[in-house]
Amino acid sequence: MHSLNEEKLKTELLTVNMGPQHPATHGVLRVEIKTDGEIVAQAIPHLGYLHRCMEKHSENLDYRGVIPFCDRMDYLASMSMELGYVLAVEKMLGTEVPRRAQYIRTLVCELQRIASHLMFFGTYAIDLGAFSPFLYAFQDREIILRIFEELSGVRLLYNYIWIGGVWNDINDDQLKRIKEFCITMSESLKKYHSLVGENKIFIERTRSIGVITKDLAFEYGATGPLLRGAGVKWDLRKDRTYSIYNEFDFDIPVGSGEKGTLGDCWDRYYVRMQEMHESIKIIQQCLDGIEEGAIIGKVPKNIKLPKGEIYQRTECPRGELGYHLISDGNKKPYRLKVKSSCFTHVSMLPDIAPGLMIADLVASIGSVDIVLGEVDR
Amino acid sequence: MEYINSKVSGANAVVSKGDAGDSSIIISPQHLKEVCRQLKDGEHEFQVLQVITGTDFLAENLIEVSYILASFTKNSELILKLRLPRGDENNLPKVDSVVEIWKAADFQERECYDMIGVEFLGHPDLQRILCPYDWQGFPLRKDYVTPEKYLDMVINPISKMNIEDREFGAKHAHIKGASTSVDNYKVDPPATVSETETV
Repeated sequence: MHSLNEEKLKTELLTVNMGPQHPATHGVLRVEIKTDGEIVAQAIPHLGYLHRCMEKHSENLDYRGVIPFCDRMDYLASMSMELGYVLAVEKMLGTEVPRRAQYIRTLVCELQRIASHLMFFGTYAIDLGAFSPFLYAFQDREIILRIFEELSGVRLLYNYIWIGGVWNDINDDQLKRIKEFCITMSESLKKYHSLVGENKIFIERTRSIGVITKDLAFEYGATGPLLRGAGVKWDLRKDRTYSIYNEFDFDIPVGSGEKGTLGDCWDRYYVRMQEMHESIKIIQQCLDGIEEGAIIGKVPKNIKLPKGEIYQRTECPRGELGYHLISDGNKKPYRLKVKSSCFTHVSMLPDIAPGLMIADLVASIGSVDIVLGEVDR
Repeated sequence: MEYINSKVSGANAVVSKGDAGDSSIIISPQHLKEVCRQLKDGEHEFQVLQVITGTDFLAENLIEVSYILASFTKNSELILKLRLPRGDENNLPKVDSVVEIWKAADFQERECYDMIGVEFLGHPDLQRILCPYDWQGFPLRKDYVTPEKYLDMVINPISKMNIEDREFGAKHAHIKGASTSVDNYKVDPPATVSETETV
């Protein structure tokens, strides 16, 4: 009799498609979720909705022509995307970059990091049901975008960092505004954190949710705030320094499991908030140290790289970005492979998701902070 | 290199280096798994598999698969390479999967299969990832020809091509180093352009 009842009450898993058009997936990601009631039993990410054949395109373009394509990968952190590619080409060419250009590059990349993390801060709050932080974040992000617009002429896809230097010089007025922005920003960041990060509801929603342990992060090759959120003190800017980051003094914030488990959503959120403070520190040192001089070095008109290959890693807002560039001695890249951190992070979903509530899955995806342009390239 | 050769017999590790940039280590594909396990658990501690890349060398009839490894404790990185015969549509190059060693290999191998057409033996779910699941051909191979149709949709319809750019490129093709030259596009420019070019 008992077994008959169980037979009758047997339930099946329900398949729900989250996306490809879903506000919580931050773009066009489709996650096929098998749910048991409200609990996720399995999550399968389906990618490729934003695949724009960047790698194939770059095989048919000269070395300068690839830079705008790099912009379009992670459209929220275009400056950082450009820097990695440009560094790889410069290393192969052996170009010397003027000091002023190096300073400007560091400046814009750190401003970009703040802009990108502000975007995370705003959209993550939306994911968890708070709308107003989004408006605050965009207000501040707008100041950065305005400066970028003056520098490069574009708001999001800059094509600003060129091989050998940067395209346009920065003037004193812009430097002054960046200086003022730094002061107001570090004040408002504290406000934002007390508004969202210390909020009881926010903490309840994020503590011990979507835990990524150190072992899991290594297994999948997760980088950036995910890895630091898991308590690993690793930042390419410090550990494998590039450009002129070795001259600056800053800390690497790591997660501590303060509100719940080590490596949970709250830790990742907190690491990003702290990183913005560190970026402000770097920008202030940059402003103090910036030198007069040329903004672009000597680069041949027709760029031809010597035969060989290079793998260049840089620390982007979302994690490590790697360019594997293979050259056959011609004026076009023979093969350009992009190691995108978001691609790696999406592949972790099937391991994070099982056992979570659907709403917590949204919180987990949000805290990983993916940009689908970079995932699909 | 010596470390690999001493730990795994028959791996035939050779260092290769171009005129500039990083050097890499080429090993024989049969011993990939042993070498990877040794690199992960051994003294070099390569805990992280960063990326798996495939490169098609049409002239040498080779496909090169690169495994880029990194160590966060020893702060080092390594490019490990395999050279496989190119094969054809029915006989793809085959290599052992390393999913058991690094979970990161799961998506990376799928992408490599999708783009270059390398079959990874023992992969739990080897299917396309960026292209649609029923796509034909491997786009990043050098001899890949873009199909004209996918399902019922025309690829690269003439109404959506940027004709002005093409005409501009054709007009300025004689300028050396101009990035707008027509050969940057795989699709032929419209017929009218070639006439203006001769003028």
